[in-house]
Amino acid sequence: MIEVERLEKTYSTGGLATPVLKGVSFHIDKGEYVAIMGTSGTGKSTLMNILGCLDKPTAGHYGLDGTAVGSLDDDALSSLRNRKIGFVFQQFHLLERATAMRNVMLPLIYAEEYPEDAEEMAERALTAVGLADRRRYRPNELSGGQQQRVAIARALITDPEIILADEPTGALDRKSGLEVMAIFKKLHEQGRTIVLVTHDRGVAEHAQRIILLKDGRVAEDRAVEERRDPDVELNTLGAGEDDG
Amino acid sequence: MRTQRIVWQGIQSLGTNKTRTFFMMAGTIVGIAALIVVVAFGKGIETKIMEKVETFGPRAIMLIAGGGKNAPPDMTVTTLTLDDAQAIREQVEDVEIVTPMAWRFRINMKYKDNQNEAVLWGVEPSWHEAWSWYAVEGDGITDQDIATMARVCVIGQTIKRELFGNSNPVGESIYVNKVRLTVKGVLEKRGTSPMGGDFDNRIIVPITTAMRRLLNVDYVGAIRIITKDTELMPQQIKKIRALIHARHHITPPEEDDFRIASPVLIARMARGTSRTLSILLIALAGLSLLVGGVVLMNILLISVAEREKEIGLRRAVGATRGDIHLQFLAESLTVTCIGMFAGCGLGVLITLILKQATKVPITLSWEPFVLSLTFALMVGLFFGVQPARKAAALNPVEALR
Ligand SMILES: Nc1ncnc2c1ncn2[C@@H]1O[C@H](COP(=O)(O)OP(=O)(O)OP(=O)(O)O)[C@@H](O)[C@H]1O
Ligand SMILES: [Mg+2]
Repeated sequence: MIEVERLEKTYSTGGLATPVLKGVSFHIDKGEYVAIMGTSGTGKSTLMNILGCLDKPTAGHYGLDGTAVGSLDDDALSSLRNRKIGFVFQQFHLLERATAMRNVMLPLIYAEEYPEDAEEMAERALTAVGLADRRRYRPNELSGGQQQRVAIARALITDPEIILADEPTGALDRKSGLEVMAIFKKLHEQGRTIVLVTHDRGVAEHAQRIILLKDGRVAEDRAVEERRDPDVELNTLGAGEDDG
Repeated sequence: MRTQRIVWQGIQSLGTNKTRTFFMMAGTIVGIAALIVVVAFGKGIETKIMEKVETFGPRAIMLIAGGGKNAPPDMTVTTLTLDDAQAIREQVEDVEIVTPMAWRFRINMKYKDNQNEAVLWGVEPSWHEAWSWYAVEGDGITDQDIATMARVCVIGQTIKRELFGNSNPVGESIYVNKVRLTVKGVLEKRGTSPMGGDFDNRIIVPITTAMRRLLNVDYVGAIRIITKDTELMPQQIKKIRALIHARHHITPPEEDDFRIASPVLIARMARGTSRTLSILLIALAGLSLLVGGVVLMNILLISVAEREKEIGLRRAVGATRGDIHLQFLAESLTVTCIGMFAGCGLGVLITLILKQATKVPITLSWEPFVLSLTFALMVGLFFGVQPARKAAALNPVEALR
């Protein structure tokens, strides 16, 4: 599914070259749930942008679903993002003036063929994140956690090969964060490939596997021995407080 | 279709901030409205000029006593005479008719108990032909009338109505300046002049009768000359001017005691004021479209900066550079097209109001609407391209950061 071989990325600002990724290699198979970890500034987002076909590596190979991404032009990359990738951002990035429904349907606008049942698809996606009853709400009428779930529904609507989430819980409180992680868990159980970026080990341990970046290289790549379960954590969290 | 969906994204973003959208289209509205008004106005003026020329007589030259450019005829000027008319007849070539006229405004007339005030013209028989204006009841002025200084008159339709009502005036006698005249005919109806005067409130008498019996003058008010060939008119006017200069002993820096009117001069005069107005309106239209375009461009540029995240997101979910370009271009084109419709509406409204208020025969036509559409599209494209390019060129990674 994802093949990354000796990937390098060097930013050059004002004649000054800053190597960020210095030869990163790993494979991710279909249906895997992987967390990419590392301290701030190690290049997690940089890597994520390359995986998401928003940015190109300086050197190395990136294969997505059998396609060598490096050889594609800008339009082909746009099309690839539309068909194969679902993004979830730390800052949600919803259209402020559009309803949840319209936000979720946004990727369909850029699809080659607009599906006839676009509305039902959006409703299904919203149902999958537990927001079927909020479809007419605008972002400012939703909590942060709900906004992030709308963003996940938007990532789901095109039925992408991978979901890429860069610090999806970074802007959320613990409970909302766990709710988001519970959705990822469910999506993974349904067979989706999920790549999650986080600097928080507690969040990373919800995944099956952790790739640790350090100094522009993969420092560690291993399976999670004791996976956390967001549903269990939500229950214990709920038991400790009055339910609201 | 994908293109339609993307265009629709651009149009939709206009609805989200109506004030912003209004400012984006304000320039187009004013510009297009001015354009509609100026074309309608210009057409109206042109129609009016044609009308004026038609009433004046396309082949006519008027030699009018009294100087000045456009002053009303001066009744106190005594220098234009029947001999001047005769001199023109003899010395200016290729003129068909030379007919002198003595006139007086606001002259009183009476029939039984009815009174009326009208314009009196003393004329020669050729007057009828020179104005293509004939008697429809009874007869016109004849050579016999001139020779005998006959106490006769031919009256206009308004006088007939005012003095005689429904009864037949021909053969009846009326008093004009205490002189008894027999009505020998009634002139055909001419209606109102382009200036709003009543052509039909007019009485004509033999010029000899007018000069000797009614007005007691030895001069005339004007001489009407009909040319055989309008091409010759400029030379003929020159010739007439020189002739009268000589006859009246005027050497050019000295002020003339007459003026000459011709269709060309009439048209030029009528255009004179309207042209300045037209140029002003055209300048306003151009300036509004230009300023409006710049405002539009700047608002769009600001909005590109404000919507960087939105643009980045659209790119992330699959929009190509071309899609973003198209979205912003659709936005600016929609703005100018809506602005065009509003401007056309406003322009038509102003035109109709002006028509009511000024009585200028303002004429609406389809040409300015086609022109407006062209301008609107041009402004939308020209000033929309740069913001659209800027939006499309955004790096999605940086836009999303
Ligand atoms: N466009 C750019 N030009 C120059 N340097 C850049 C650019 N983008 C990122 N960098 C640098 O690359 C390094 C990695 O940045 P990146 O955003 O990938 O880190 P990160 O691991 O996501 O950190 P964080 O956990 O804080 O989000 C940083 O040192 C950053 O300054
Ligand atoms: Mg980051």
